[in-house]
Amino acid sequence: MRTRGGLDTAERVLGGPVLWTGLAALTVFAVAPFVWVLLASFKTRAELYAMPLVWLPSSLSLANYVEAWTSKLTPFSRFFANSLWVSSVTMVATTVISVLAGYALARFRFAGRQTLMMLFLATQMFPAVLLIAPLLSQWHALGLIDTYQALIYSNFSFTVPFTVWMLVGYFESIPRELEESALMDGCGRFGALCRVVLPLAAPGVAATAIFAFVSSWSELLFAITFTSQTEMRTLSAGLLFMVGQYEIQWGQLSAGVIISTLPVAVLFTFLQRHLIRGLTAGALKG
Amino acid sequence: MAHEATLARPLARPLLSRRARELLTGYGYLLPVAVALGATVLVPILQAMRMSLYRNVLIKPQEYGFIGLGNYARLLRDDVFWLSLWNSFFWVFGSVSLQFLGGFAAALLLHQTFRGRAIVRTLTLLPWIIPGVVVALIWEYLYQPNYGALNDLLTRVGLMRDKVAWLSDPALAMPAVIATNVWRGVPFFAIMLLAGLQAIPDELYEAARVDCAGVLERFWHITLPMLRPIIVVATATRIIWTFNYADLIFVMTSGGPVNATQITSTYTLLQAYSNLDFGYAATLSVALLVIMLAFTTLYLRVTRGVEPVG
Amino acid sequence: MNERWVLSRRQILKGMAAAGALTAAELAWWEEPLISPRRAWGAAPVRFQFSVPEPKRTALVESLVQRFNQSQKDFEVKVEFVPQAQARQKLITSIAAGTPPDVAQVWDNWVGEFDGMNALEDLTPKVKDWSGYRDVLPLAWETVTVKKRILSFPWVVTNDAVYWRTDRAKQYGATPPRDDWSFDEFLAWAKAMTKPDKNQYGFGMRGQGTWAVLYATEFMYANGAQVLGKDGRVAINSKEAAEALDWYLDLFRKHKVCPPSVPTDGWRQIVEGFGRGVTNSYIHNSGSSEEQKDFVKPENFATVPLPVGPAKKRVSFYFSETLTPFKAGKSRQGGFTFMSWAMESEPHFMYSKTLGLLPARKSVAERPEFTNDPALAGFIKSFPFSIVSPYLAYAGWGGKLDSEGVPLFQQALVGKLSSKEFLDKFAEMLTKNMS
Repeated sequence: MRTRGGLDTAERVLGGPVLWTGLAALTVFAVAPFVWVLLASFKTRAELYAMPLVWLPSSLSLANYVEAWTSKLTPFSRFFANSLWVSSVTMVATTVISVLAGYALARFRFAGRQTLMMLFLATQMFPAVLLIAPLLSQWHALGLIDTYQALIYSNFSFTVPFTVWMLVGYFESIPRELEESALMDGCGRFGALCRVVLPLAAPGVAATAIFAFVSSWSELLFAITFTSQTEMRTLSAGLLFMVGQYEIQWGQLSAGVIISTLPVAVLFTFLQRHLIRGLTAGALKG
Repeated sequence: MAHEATLARPLARPLLSRRARELLTGYGYLLPVAVALGATVLVPILQAMRMSLYRNVLIKPQEYGFIGLGNYARLLRDDVFWLSLWNSFFWVFGSVSLQFLGGFAAALLLHQTFRGRAIVRTLTLLPWIIPGVVVALIWEYLYQPNYGALNDLLTRVGLMRDKVAWLSDPALAMPAVIATNVWRGVPFFAIMLLAGLQAIPDELYEAARVDCAGVLERFWHITLPMLRPIIVVATATRIIWTFNYADLIFVMTSGGPVNATQITSTYTLLQAYSNLDFGYAATLSVALLVIMLAFTTLYLRVTRGVEPVG
Repeated sequence: MNERWVLSRRQILKGMAAAGALTAAELAWWEEPLISPRRAWGAAPVRFQFSVPEPKRTALVESLVQRFNQSQKDFEVKVEFVPQAQARQKLITSIAAGTPPDVAQVWDNWVGEFDGMNALEDLTPKVKDWSGYRDVLPLAWETVTVKKRILSFPWVVTNDAVYWRTDRAKQYGATPPRDDWSFDEFLAWAKAMTKPDKNQYGFGMRGQGTWAVLYATEFMYANGAQVLGKDGRVAINSKEAAEALDWYLDLFRKHKVCPPSVPTDGWRQIVEGFGRGVTNSYIHNSGSSEEQKDFVKPENFATVPLPVGPAKKRVSFYFSETLTPFKAGKSRQGGFTFMSWAMESEPHFMYSKTLGLLPARKSVAERPEFTNDPALAGFIKSFPFSIVSPYLAYAGWGGKLDSEGVPLFQQALVGKLSSKEFLDKFAEMLTKNMS
């Protein structure tokens, strides 16, 4: 990144102390509430309610975790599986749909293209609250209450518009000539898409897939409204069970938060390189 | 375009012209997205728009009926609506600008090479991964005047004497929820801007340095212009999204105290679920939609659009 | 990134696309939850929605449901737990969509609203035929009667009283509250129990949620005010009401015996506040008594009725948690059978005892477990002067109290409105929504 020789004073200051202070501040800022949650997950009820505040738990007791994972009301193992399934399928389906749509919008010229793009943006402008009632009657009529499908389809309402926008940008940044030669060789459009465009746009596609996954991972409103059985709840909906009318079970809630965050965080450590590189590919064209 | 290969082919006449086939394929590719969005968003939005023209209060089914623009007239006279608009603007611009600045700073930092970069990047992304409701609960706990960690810390360090009620004071409540929203939103900008930074070729910087441009000049003349498209996309989508984001405020303050944090989307929630006035809630949503459409068109025009020329 | 990685990722993407295609085709096998409920042969399913006040309660409800299912063969109840905060929303949405549960556990102040939505049926004939009809307190039936029709079963009942720390009262030498204490004694007590340096306050006032206004109304009634006058018109903005409200709000505004977080303190905050020892008294129904036994230990607190006002009277608002069947439910007979079973002595007793709420049936309420519990003493002693909340008179008031009444109240709390101004605006709002 930086060449060794000839750093001026500004660069040296920025590269050294400013960088380290900045990183420290950034990490503390992002992580501090988590540290609090992590500490809370090990505390006993007495420690959680002690006045004055107890910062450090007296021991690293895993009781809260065990309780959260196995409790009948909040079977986190089950919630986790549900969230994983719903988010994964949403991610895959969204990617398929948006790749097709993004490609069409990027490559084919037709009237109303501009309006269509604006329409995608506009669909995100409507509060989800008002979508609930019509969607509920729809799913009920189709017999899809308490199924994964209702959640997956409903998730499209916020994953698809965003991913289509992003993918249009990526596809447009790939030069047409590459496809032209593939088409000359007798591939159909679909073949050109798969063989030429997708491999080049793969980082961008992966990035949008991850966005879709993370957004549906934390989706809440639909999960609560369209499911009623405990076995069908997702993580976000399940975490709300820790919030009682008169008290919040902070110990278990914290354990639940850590349980639901840790795997995604680990996944991210490995994928963040690809995610960022993927976003880089389309960055210049927006 | 190379036509030689075409001319060398036998002149078979396909059923549809190439142009028509292209068009059909194009529409075919758009079919899944049309179905997906049509069913889950467009149809409900249209239904809701229609609902805004009716008096539809769930507990008064006998009063159900078409009232044309009656709800809209009521909207214009509604003080809380105008207050909520003002709060919304404050909420949106406060959150997004700080998220942007924070995210930009973060991106600049994470762009450098240093040991443990992967870990730091992941840690920075953490606030984004937790569900919004949980974020609201955690921060509500942190802000609690009597047993929250924030006041405890400030008191121990000596910076605070009387316990400040962050979420219960009409003057402090909005800044407090904005702070939480900023915490949540910085990762989004951090990733997008980081990607943009990594796309800028080093050669540009090298050339500038050879021309004796200082750090600030390089930043101003190279970094910023190259990042402009990303900045526009990211801020536009984030503004729209934040306008509609009701979860945080709803859980932390329910729009209070005294409507200090009541933004239009939480007000819509209130009308729908507390007053069961779905007609009016639909009206509020349509108003929101119109406002945001107007804003987005203006915003994109001002920043000279993002439509890739191609 | 090398070629191999790219290619294999492409293959993965292809595979996933194929899986996605399968997703679109309606495969039935993965729709079912992995754990299927065992169903008795021929039993008709009954959907029972229970909103979870505290997660610990679910074990009790599940065992109750299991017992019912085992006790007969015609119906099988399946309970759906919903977090407390979403219960009303969920019910509203499901009624609007035509898919309400067969029975739901519902607060009495929602019954009027659901009736307004035309979602409930008139149970009066069935109820009058039911064996336990006379055993239930008439006041309890009143809470579920709208326009002379009984719409549900009152399951457990409660009213409001004051929780107070007995150990701290001794510690600080404050005069403990008497059963008939006055407003002045209340204030003196709250002042004696406020120690800001120790982060302790004498009284945890509620500023958020409908009941913030209701508690204030109880104090107004103690000064002779009423929500509805004899002529049926709204009379809450009387001089007596303003005086009493001033006195009540001054606890926070002037005397500072309440914590600074009052304007946004709802149920959860006032219970937690007392539980953590931040407040030394608070007003609530008996529902949080079990929590406080866990938080503070039974020997350290007790309950006492609300203080007597200058007009030498007082009221406590009485309300019930009901079992309500829905008209559009698929299994109404099953729902009713389950409800009547839940009102039988044993299940009724188990449920009430665990929740700290009082059973609606006299025969069960007279058991020593209730009458001898000091944590419940204040509530039992308040029954003689308990009345059904006056705000239940009109179904239209329910939502408005929350959306308009509470912000007005908060304005008065923080001093933006005087008590009289608040009451005038409040009365205006009530009058506009009488329906």
